[in-house]
Amino acid sequence: MNSLDPRVSRLPQVGQEGKIFPKAPLDQFGTYEVFVQSKEGKPFQHEGIVHAPNLELAYVLAKETFTRRFTCVSLYVVDTRDVFVSPLTDGNRNVYDLLDDVNDDEGKNKFEIYHLAKRGKQHMYAGTVVAASVGGALSKAKAQFGKEKIVYNVWAIETSNIRFTQHEERELWLTLPEKKFRDAAEYKGGGKLKNFLESSSKS
Amino acid sequence: MNNLPLKELLYKMADDQLILGHRNSEWTGFGPLLEEDIAFSSMAQDKVGHSLALYTLLNQLGESDPDTVAFTRNANQFHNSILTELPNQEYDFSLIRHFLYDTAEALRFEMLTQSSYEPLAQVAKKVRGELRYHTLHAKTWINQLGSATEESISRLQKSLDYAMPFALGIFEESPYEKQIVDNGIFEGEQALKTKWLTRVEEILSNTSLHLPDFKIIHPVTGGRIGKHSEHLQPLLDEMSEVFRIDPGAEW
Repeated sequence: MNSLDPRVSRLPQVGQEGKIFPKAPLDQFGTYEVFVQSKEGKPFQHEGIVHAPNLELAYVLAKETFTRRFTCVSLYVVDTRDVFVSPLTDGNRNVYDLLDDVNDDEGKNKFEIYHLAKRGKQHMYAGTVVAASVGGALSKAKAQFGKEKIVYNVWAIETSNIRFTQHEERELWLTLPEKKFRDAAEYKGGGKLKNFLESSSKS
Repeated sequence: MNNLPLKELLYKMADDQLILGHRNSEWTGFGPLLEEDIAFSSMAQDKVGHSLALYTLLNQLGESDPDTVAFTRNANQFHNSILTELPNQEYDFSLIRHFLYDTAEALRFEMLTQSSYEPLAQVAKKVRGELRYHTLHAKTWINQLGSATEESISRLQKSLDYAMPFALGIFEESPYEKQIVDNGIFEGEQALKTKWLTRVEEILSNTSLHLPDFKIIHPVTGGRIGKHSEHLQPLLDEMSEVFRIDPGAEW
């Protein structure tokens, strides 16, 4: 391959002249959900997913995929299959009204509860409840945080399945505020072009 | 004060960061999966940033400005270890090099937080979070692929066997080693190598990988005194191609 990018020119040849091969089957990793805390005291918010072979690598890859710009003080990841999702409502319908009450007072498992408060926005952390099952957790969430505003969708994640940021790992984002060069808007190309055009028209 | 020992230390560290940063950036757009492409590219950018911080210290000691130092020297004026200039080959080699080099790099900077040269100690303290990420990334991949499948294990092992003599070249001693140690600038390459070996062994012990026999390995040295492989000059030509078109251009 002949390209202006020398790395492209160095790529290995694909296929063989005169031969046709079937496309190789895809070998895909599973997905993990990524939650980010942008500032101290602010709630965690769902940012997206990463592909990874395991939870720890999901954490490693999520860090650069979702927090290489802007601000971050902490993040966590969980296997997509460990996120329990309610139905989705719209209009003025509170999703909690669609959920059956489950009474499992004896439970000891912690669950993180996430709310979708506006369609098209991200799920935000609403609080943590203790229950024996996901159903019980959602019932407790309804009692504790489900009355004030309309919630369109709710997630429950068992806390023990989450890979959190350890306290000493918070230094991972120590130099992030200085990395403005990663934001395209920080490069004032327009001003440079204007100066260049002005100086060339004078000479 | 005679600055030569300090300058020599700063040059070899800065050149290591710049050359490996450039090599690793060659993966941008070609990484094995999108998330890893982003992570590896970010770390490459960090390394180039570290080289800038160190070239800036050199500039304050009377050397040329960072761009001139980075883009206008020839291969024989570079002090990087040969490990950092080797072509990327397959991802298994890049990953092993990243693991071996970054483990040493993180320990070196950690030791330098105690340096008697305060500006260097400040830089070392500042980058600790980035290095924590680099070593976490390297360790996590080595743990995963070093015990995943027969293919991943054998490929990493082959790259490890190939890379080890070059990795030992990281610790090639400076002609000023004694002054550097005596003046408290840095504990020295031997102390670093000992810590590095312990750490590398500790991480590999959780995998199916094993260190090659050190009795039969000869470290590949020369990089620190400007004797490089045939791979460095083409890298420099490529890296400085745009700069050389118009060295005075303002970006």
